[in-house]
Amino acid sequence: MSTTTLNHSIESHGHEHAEVTGWRKYIWSLDHKIIGLQYLFTSLGFLFVGGGLALLLRWQLAYPSTQVMANGDVGNPLSLPFINPQFYNSLFTMHATVMVFLVVMPLLIGAFGNYLIPLKIGAGDMAFPLINELSYWVYVFSGVLLMGSFFVAGGAAAGGWTSYAPLSSVSAYNGTQIGQSLWCVGIFFNGLASIMGAFNYITTIVNMRAPGMGFFRMPLAVWSLFITAFLLLLAVPVLSAAAAMLFLDLNAGTSFFNPANGGQPLLWQHLFWFFGHPEVYIMILPAMGMVSDILSIFSRKPVFGYRAMVYAMVAIGFLGFIVWGHHMFVSGMNLVLSAAFGVSTMVIAVPSAIKTFNWLGTLWGGSIRFTTAMLNALAFVLMFVIGGLSGIFMASTPVDIFVHHTYFIVAHIHYVLFGGSIFGIFAGIYTWYPKMFGRMLDENLGKIHFGLTFAFYNLCFFPMHNVGLGGMMRRIADPTAYEHLRALQPINQFITIAAIGLGFSQFVFLWNFFRSLRHGKPAGKNPWNATTLEWTVASPPGHGNFEVTPRVYRGAYDYSVPGAPRDFIMQNEPEPSDSPQGKVAGRKSVTAG
Amino acid sequence: MKLLETPSMTRTSSLRGLAFLSAFALTLANAQAEIRETSVWWLPRNVNMFGHDVDFLFYIILFLTGVAFIGVFFAMILFLIKYRYRPGVAAIHTHGNNALEVVWTTIPAFIFLALAIYGNEQWSKMRRQTPPANALPVAVVGEQFGWNVRYPGPDGKLGKMVAAKISKENPFGIDVADPAGLDDFTTYNELVFPVGRPVRLYLGSKDVIHAFYVPEFRLYQDMVPGRVYDFVWLKAEATGNFQLACNQLCGQGHYKMFGKLSVVPELAYEAWAKSKTPPPVTMTGR
Repeated sequence: MSTTTLNHSIESHGHEHAEVTGWRKYIWSLDHKIIGLQYLFTSLGFLFVGGGLALLLRWQLAYPSTQVMANGDVGNPLSLPFINPQFYNSLFTMHATVMVFLVVMPLLIGAFGNYLIPLKIGAGDMAFPLINELSYWVYVFSGVLLMGSFFVAGGAAAGGWTSYAPLSSVSAYNGTQIGQSLWCVGIFFNGLASIMGAFNYITTIVNMRAPGMGFFRMPLAVWSLFITAFLLLLAVPVLSAAAAMLFLDLNAGTSFFNPANGGQPLLWQHLFWFFGHPEVYIMILPAMGMVSDILSIFSRKPVFGYRAMVYAMVAIGFLGFIVWGHHMFVSGMNLVLSAAFGVSTMVIAVPSAIKTFNWLGTLWGGSIRFTTAMLNALAFVLMFVIGGLSGIFMASTPVDIFVHHTYFIVAHIHYVLFGGSIFGIFAGIYTWYPKMFGRMLDENLGKIHFGLTFAFYNLCFFPMHNVGLGGMMRRIADPTAYEHLRALQPINQFITIAAIGLGFSQFVFLWNFFRSLRHGKPAGKNPWNATTLEWTVASPPGHGNFEVTPRVYRGAYDYSVPGAPRDFIMQNEPEPSDSPQGKVAGRKSVTAG
Repeated sequence: MKLLETPSMTRTSSLRGLAFLSAFALTLANAQAEIRETSVWWLPRNVNMFGHDVDFLFYIILFLTGVAFIGVFFAMILFLIKYRYRPGVAAIHTHGNNALEVVWTTIPAFIFLALAIYGNEQWSKMRRQTPPANALPVAVVGEQFGWNVRYPGPDGKLGKMVAAKISKENPFGIDVADPAGLDDFTTYNELVFPVGRPVRLYLGSKDVIHAFYVPEFRLYQDMVPGRVYDFVWLKAEATGNFQLACNQLCGQGHYKMFGKLSVVPELAYEAWAKSKTPPPVTMTGR
């Protein structure tokens, strides 16, 4: 591809470690691309584990094993007798834990972050390759601990992924001393992996951008991961500390959270949500960044309001740290405090609105190609809008009081985390799979997968809004135990059937993914005619990524530039010096470089 | 539930697959009828004085978010159709529009701030209003997995509750020195409220966090152990039978931690209260 003759000192960063080949590279390789793929495969594996847990708990809600039938029998004939109430509590606790800590974070940050950051900024590798690999193995270790907790006496943690004390901190109350302790240790190590990744990303982005790659020439995907890394660095240590305190309460006789010995249960909630709310944005920002880029590629248009998008993400990152109290309106919070958290929560909706309008602006006037990646990105926008708007209900304290612990909030979080993050992840996989494996995914199978997922997803999660407004609480093992919820049972069964459809639709994806590894069409360097640096090198890129350090002459979104020979101009293509545009951009590149 | 008692789904049925299919068919058929009777697709009826404000705010937000969603949805569909790829038609090269950015930042900002201010006003109205003097005080203390309830006797006064004194033997944390508590009576998982008369709740917990939740009252309050919540009050506007549910995960029996809540005419309440002879020792919960 067109590279410049300028040889830059940056090269000395990337190639310090030797290439590891064969099967050993999946254990010892320090190459960011291999580590990215390790994260990708591991977390996709956990996606199926987390999904399986979800289907089990949905089955219990539709056909409860605890239900007392008219003839006095206990258990619905269709029920799974091994799901007792305690195991049910473990199921939803671990479903959320797996999906948050072992699926969405590692997919967005571990897989895409690792794979894309060096390639997109023109670096040979991450700043600290060894720590990068260590972070992956620590993540695997945390996954093993969490999975292993299912097999210990008492079973896995059953106090909800939020682990509210003192239920979580006193084993006499929760009955899962070992499981809950393993949860603490697992979360602690998972946090360690995140922290290692975070400072690696920040260092890499600050120090290792190719010449000419000013901050405001970085693709939004890189910006989003950059901001996310700061959120991780500031939020995750708080959770790790809280998990350590909880572990001590359980095992060492301390009493941080148990009021019976002078502890303070609300301390746990403050610590958890001080992490927990930035965490919500940690799990959505990278998807927002990738989707912004994908909408631009397939609309053949620059991202609308690039700088506004960056500032909106920075604003979300900052405001994300001062809204945690809205998770605690129901705890009987002081009025001044709830007013402050209510206002900050409403304010954080503004940057989200800005992003939505700019996505629409990107589509406006485009030349839109409906690839599978694009369909998933469009679904991301629409589902994120629903999830964002349903959040407004919770931001308003009086309404929050009514809907807070009902299925309305379960619908809300799944519209953000599945409708948002997971569709964003699928969009990312369909876009960058050709770069990762050198072959295209099958578009027809991709569209079948998208259509089924989109339909079943909405059939599954939308009715949860209604069930919640009808007064159904979350986290109850048997809704039929309640007279006022029995009339909801047909909807619960409907949701379960849709969830099963959603789960099985993913096998289309799996089939496509593994089949295309061998049988996909060869991708070539730049199958999507995109502009950013990863598309200037071979698919998959070789060890060290760039043979010569690229020089960057322009922003990431020069699509459909009038007068240009093609409808895209790569970031490393110099301006023809005689065109008026070239002069302007050329001047900019001097200052940015 | 009718559906679950149908013959096709008895334990003896060997054809589980068939049973499953028929269950699904019945699900769809039954859904309509039952839902219309109970309106479970939507907010249940509201019987609490404060509930009207909650519902009003809910509908305001529903309207605003509904308009926003419909706007975004149709704009997106319009753009997708109008700007789909057509050979020979190039995309417009634009990097954005600052005036537009200002417009779509300020308008949502004003709407969200107005919502925040209005919501907060409603909230402090609910929380700041002191309960009227004739309010009936009722203490409710959660435990794994049930509700201890304490009513005042003929003197109309509850014994003084001290959070630090709540224990297994003294679930309400009653101060024995307080004579007001001597004629109190207690129930378990059973609440009766007189209609039209304010009720002031004293909420506490013996062990883990529980939550007092009755959807028809638009009422939810966490009960964190170590404190007594004395600011929650309500006024039922209609009689009926409801279910009090714990709505904060409290352990393996959480799903069946519920109690009966009846709203009855004042006279019926008086009669019920009289029928509950005060136990000789008022410190025990049951």
